[in-house]
Amino acid sequence: MLKFFTNSNIFFWIEKLTNFINSIFFVLLLVAISFAIIFSPPDYLQGDSVRIMYVHVPAAWIGLASFTLIALISILNFIFKIKNLMLVSKSIAPIGLMFTCLAIVTGSLWGQPTWGTFWAWDARITSMLVLAIFYLLFIFVHKFISGEEKANKISNMIAIIGFINIPIIKYSVEWWNTLHQPASVKILGSNTIHSSMLVPLLLMFFVLILYCALIFLMKYKTEIIRIKKKNLKRL
Amino acid sequence: MIENIVYMNGYGIFVWSSFAITALSCVIVYFKTLKTLRKYEKEFAKEIEDLSTEKRKTLLESSKVASQVVSSYNKTI
Repeated sequence: MLKFFTNSNIFFWIEKLTNFINSIFFVLLLVAISFAIIFSPPDYLQGDSVRIMYVHVPAAWIGLASFTLIALISILNFIFKIKNLMLVSKSIAPIGLMFTCLAIVTGSLWGQPTWGTFWAWDARITSMLVLAIFYLLFIFVHKFISGEEKANKISNMIAIIGFINIPIIKYSVEWWNTLHQPASVKILGSNTIHSSMLVPLLLMFFVLILYCALIFLMKYKTEIIRIKKKNLKRL
Repeated sequence: MIENIVYMNGYGIFVWSSFAITALSCVIVYFKTLKTLRKYEKEFAKEIEDLSTEKRKTLLESSKVASQVVSSYNKTI
């Protein structure tokens, strides 16, 4: 079983998966965007500005999920010290940062027509900004600290400390008075969003997840080649 | 209908900006990641080609990653 997880096997499967995602991506993207822009109805209160939700919400979900994954990997890495796991979190971090920034920017663009302001030091927005800072710290540690082991240790600690912020982001709308509305899509419990809006939202989320997978696979492949290149010098 | 899609009752500027920023960021990150990958593949393939025949043969037989990178690099040139 463990033999399957060698870099050679992973490298082979990355090629296959990348080709598969490339083959279905543009069709799905076209379908998702058509639903988000044309077929989904405007909101009875927010009108057409609600369409921003189809990029804002998936971006925020991906930003949160990526950091949660990085933190869990960091905990596992502290215990088991598996080198491949660190490659995974290093490859996920830039994707997570991009989507967290996108969630902040698109949220700001949604805020202007809805709340009358691009920015407010609201609990949800501020905690998302803190998440972006944790992502930046994680990435900078790997970029600027020489010595892989030292960089891994520090970045693991940053991820574990930053993980405290995840439930704060999730429950900020319930713990404090914020401009944000409570979650409409719930994993546990019933959704308060109509299916005509839920379908495009989930479609856009799926397409963006495929995009993330594509970037992740390319970044992971780059990391494997970087390691092999380093080993080549020892020959 | 097209006018409705473009203007969206005055919200078009906000909606289209959100979609455009997201699309642009995704495209930039995709090509930047691809460029870095290609750069590493090229450097790795060149370093393998610079090895002595014997070392290269041993490496390509023992490492699937090396053989795949070299074959995909040869296809691109």
